[in-house]
Amino acid sequence: MDLVQLLTSDYAIHLAILIALYLILAQSLNLTFGLGQLFNLAHVASYAVGAYATALLSTECESPFWVCITVSVLLSGLFAVLLGGIALRLSNDYFAIGTLAFSSVVSALLINWKSLTKGVLGIPGIPRPEFFGIDFYQNVNFLALIGVFAALTQVLLYCLYVSPLGRSLRALAEYERAAAALGTDTRLIRNIAFFISSSLAGLAGSFFAYYLNYIDPSSFALSEMVFVLTIVIVGKPGSFMGVIGATIFLVLLPEPLRFLDINSAYLGPMRQLLHAGILFGVVWWNRHRLFPQRRQV
Amino acid sequence: MLSILPQLLVNSLITGSIYALASSGLALSYGLLRILNFAHGHIMMIGAYTFLFFHVQEEMSFLPAAIFSTACVVALGACALSAFILPFMRSSSLLPLITTIALGTILESLVSIFFGVNVRSFPSASASESIECGGVYITPLQIFIISSALVILGVLGFIVHKTSLGRKVRAIAENKPAAEGLGISSTFVMYTVFIISTILGAYAGILVGYETNIQPTMGGSYSIKAFAAMVLGGLGNIWGTIAGAFILGLVENLSIGLDFWGYSLPAGYKDAFAFLIILAVLLLRPQGLFGTVSRSS
Repeated sequence: MDLVQLLTSDYAIHLAILIALYLILAQSLNLTFGLGQLFNLAHVASYAVGAYATALLSTECESPFWVCITVSVLLSGLFAVLLGGIALRLSNDYFAIGTLAFSSVVSALLINWKSLTKGVLGIPGIPRPEFFGIDFYQNVNFLALIGVFAALTQVLLYCLYVSPLGRSLRALAEYERAAAALGTDTRLIRNIAFFISSSLAGLAGSFFAYYLNYIDPSSFALSEMVFVLTIVIVGKPGSFMGVIGATIFLVLLPEPLRFLDINSAYLGPMRQLLHAGILFGVVWWNRHRLFPQRRQV
Repeated sequence: MLSILPQLLVNSLITGSIYALASSGLALSYGLLRILNFAHGHIMMIGAYTFLFFHVQEEMSFLPAAIFSTACVVALGACALSAFILPFMRSSSLLPLITTIALGTILESLVSIFFGVNVRSFPSASASESIECGGVYITPLQIFIISSALVILGVLGFIVHKTSLGRKVRAIAENKPAAEGLGISSTFVMYTVFIISTILGAYAGILVGYETNIQPTMGGSYSIKAFAAMVLGGLGNIWGTIAGAFILGLVENLSIGLDFWGYSLPAGYKDAFAFLIILAVLLLRPQGLFGTVSRSS
């Protein structure tokens, strides 16, 4: 197979869509976890909120694309306001436990609120978007759509990284008291970052539901959180280009496993093992540099 | 409705005993190391699966199987502490959180690969016949669970409060440099405490295997439940945590057992309750139910 054929094959397009999806998800986590050093374990919960909002609206109410996506983004944002209201009062270990508890409440609801989410059976038959007469069931067209959104998200987040908001977030992570003494509103800045990060995760969730046409709670388990966390850590927290590179690298990395002669039941755990191993390796390798010592004034 | 109350109380005592065993180890190691060990539930899971391997698959009798699985878990605990926790303690408080999450994921995927993802349980022929006592049904196994938990927690209390190891643990928790200056080997104490905590966890895991069933993904939810007990009692406070574990068992059982104004909650929501408790306590009483407000530098 020559290169052109390979790059336009269905498989390559599928991978490109995954990369675009995880670019949105990982870069938005990079805002809170990387820049703000807030150990947000509920990011995948926001992603789930977005995915379920789109799935339910498009199957039950047959809402059009723009409505679904707007509602998903807003609901995930609202979720972040709720989460931030509780978790951002806490610090360090408590913050991690709080966000973990929050994401567990969401997954317990996804599994048990059967009248709404259909539980572990998941929601099938989510239609692809439809507008301007373009056929988004063609993966090429869907790639173009998600590509545009991924690019817009990256531009938006880059602007945020270099904006005063990004600088305040960095300053709060480095030396909270000094930043607060200089008039930074700790709670407000972090809540805004949380809101933006979570809304974008909702956007990614919306595209995830559209792309797979089917969602169930297992897609939003803690292992997914570990994967997104691995992307941000491999790319270096707070580094914009690093996270883009890491997303491409880590989405493509487990793919050769597909071509080995492995029982498909082992595929999921092996991918998980690979990600967790890389996560540990990178943290081990960079343990003195990853989260820099707070500067002394 | 009130007629099932005694049964619910006994059930809460059983669940509470298992949670207490699981969370007291976590509280002990948190009190000393100030590291939240996300992999604690996964270590429980490993305890249960090594016992399954020796007792059920290799058909060893109870005692040798227990000895072999304890040896495995002790080795695992020592490796976990030396590779996944100690090297990262100095750099940033975030890093051990990440590495223990990675460790948990690694253990979970390894068990999924070697034992499969299906639910397993231990055969317990004689222990399954219930004894009726004043309208309350209880199996000999459950009596064993409760009494062994009380004995083990009593021994733990004796160790912490009356032995020289316990004094060293408390000295290091209070002021590490001063304790080291007086010739206490903090490395030795940390390894001992961490290994005790893994053994307690593994024992709780085996009890879970006898009382209900085990699967590779149980680790995450037991970690969170142990956190819930710890948050209830105040982080690092062992007696508070044990009380928290029994309260958690009580709330879980009452929440699904009783009906509220003719409306009863489905059993699936039991887990969600644990997580909601964490959030409520974090919000209202972050120092734990039994903690006092203190200012640390």
